[in-house]
Amino acid sequence: MSRSLPRSAAGRIALYVAALVIAVYSAFPIYWMVVSSTRAPQALLHSTSLVPGPLTWEYYSNLLELTDYPSQFMNSLFVAVVTVVVTMVFSVMIAYAVTRHRIRGKGLIVGAMLYAYMFPPLLIAIPLFSIFAKIGLGDTLTSVIVSHLTLTLPLGVWFLWGFFKSMPFELEEAAMVDGCTRLGAFLRVVLPLSLPGLITVAIFSFLLSWTDYTYALIMIGSDANKTVPVGLASMVGSFDLRWGEIMAGSTLIALPLFGAFALLSQYFIQGLGAGAVKG
Amino acid sequence: MSSKATIYSFLFLGLAVTALLIVAPVVYAVSLSFYQMDSFVGAPRWVGLDNYARMLSQWIFWRALINGFIYAFGTIIFQVVLGIGFALVLNQVFPGRNIVRGLSILPYLLPTVVVVLTFKWMVDGSIGVLTQVIAALGLPPVQWFESPGAAMASVILVSVWMWTPFVTTTFLAALQTVPSSLYEAAKVDGTNAVQRFFHITLPMLKPILTVIVLLRAVWMFNKFDVIWLLTQGGPVGATEHLAILSYKQAFGQFDIGGGAAVATISFAILSVAVFIYFRLFPLDTE
Repeated sequence: MSRSLPRSAAGRIALYVAALVIAVYSAFPIYWMVVSSTRAPQALLHSTSLVPGPLTWEYYSNLLELTDYPSQFMNSLFVAVVTVVVTMVFSVMIAYAVTRHRIRGKGLIVGAMLYAYMFPPLLIAIPLFSIFAKIGLGDTLTSVIVSHLTLTLPLGVWFLWGFFKSMPFELEEAAMVDGCTRLGAFLRVVLPLSLPGLITVAIFSFLLSWTDYTYALIMIGSDANKTVPVGLASMVGSFDLRWGEIMAGSTLIALPLFGAFALLSQYFIQGLGAGAVKG
Repeated sequence: MSSKATIYSFLFLGLAVTALLIVAPVVYAVSLSFYQMDSFVGAPRWVGLDNYARMLSQWIFWRALINGFIYAFGTIIFQVVLGIGFALVLNQVFPGRNIVRGLSILPYLLPTVVVVLTFKWMVDGSIGVLTQVIAALGLPPVQWFESPGAAMASVILVSVWMWTPFVTTTFLAALQTVPSSLYEAAKVDGTNAVQRFFHITLPMLKPILTVIVLLRAVWMFNKFDVIWLLTQGGPVGATEHLAILSYKQAFGQFDIGGGAAVATISFAILSVAVFIYFRLFPLDTE
């Protein structure tokens, strides 16, 4: 439902002002982060000019050449990609089995998934840390991936359950009548048709893993194994605050997300409407 | 492979992974809360309910509980009011509407660490852009984190900025489902926009709004990263809530049993909330 333009000039002006306020409120901190990351050192500490410049790339080159940032970036990417792949494989299986078969207590399974998504982070982090320390896998990327899966798997099942529910059963039945096995029908008919749902799960799983600070903080101790959010946060604790480098590092974490959002915003927004959520 | 075998092997594999990843840690966490452990690799000693008695008898626990409620309620009220306001504006027709809609979602995409670092840079004591703006307006400098009240307000402010887009986007999507004939009829009856909002929009969207509020309540109650990064629970515990207390016990003091007990209590509180949620909105499993 989109209402027509307000008739009065005053109403229109109020609307434009409100829209401008929303845009500035939402985007200014992000704009300022990017501007600060490219402003030459002298100006950075004295000027609050809203116009970008004088330009410099030195924070970026410092960050990439003198710090652990590049390797931490690769750690983050590795963790996020593995988390996405594992989440997709298992959440598809569970969600499909739950929607396509009369299983007693399936409401319980689906409800438990939504429930799991609301667990306090420390309730998961304390035992996982203890388990990984005991089996000699403390301070590894594996432990971070497993902790991220505790968030992304319930999300994936919950979302795909809703998605499969709305997919007509007749499609697979037709394929099975034509001689496909259940597995064949699943692989050739169901999976291709559920691509939009899978993309949504992939986006939200990536987002959860890529932006996570809490689990990575708890699981990782050494600089070499830190993911970008934890590595960047620990730069602030060091003896002098290098805001230029910190803003450059922040910009580099945010850019992949904005790029993906520009390409995939329709999946993201539909996903939010259909129960895919990020804390 | 027969049809049934495929389904059951899917289900079995999936549930095995879920049990291992989600059920086992929770069971282990709850059991840890009955033991005393001074290190994560040390031998646990059974102490029964001692950890609970010890935590519940300390006033820092009750302070953390109250702080958690203040933080959750404070952030939810502002998120919901701002989110609904934004959605109503973005539902109107104006040039560049899609751009403003896109911009309004961006804060939700950002990692918490980026939001916190950018906020800290903007309010930096001497050269932050917000500090400069406040000085230029002739206002006294704001001490964002020094006093207990200010620290809580700052934590709420940053959280509201980050999570309002969730409410905006969900409410905006829900607005599309209200039939425009209802508004037309109300207009014919001579109502104004405010009356239409309270008598048509809000009642129609009450179910989705209740879901939004409950989901956000649970998540805000659980938030750890934003508070830890902004204040670490300070000054003098003013922003320390249950998640921070649990973290400090387990990973700061190596009182693993105490940390697990606090996490288990949060879990119990949330379970009550989730139980009420499912009572109000039963799952449609068909």
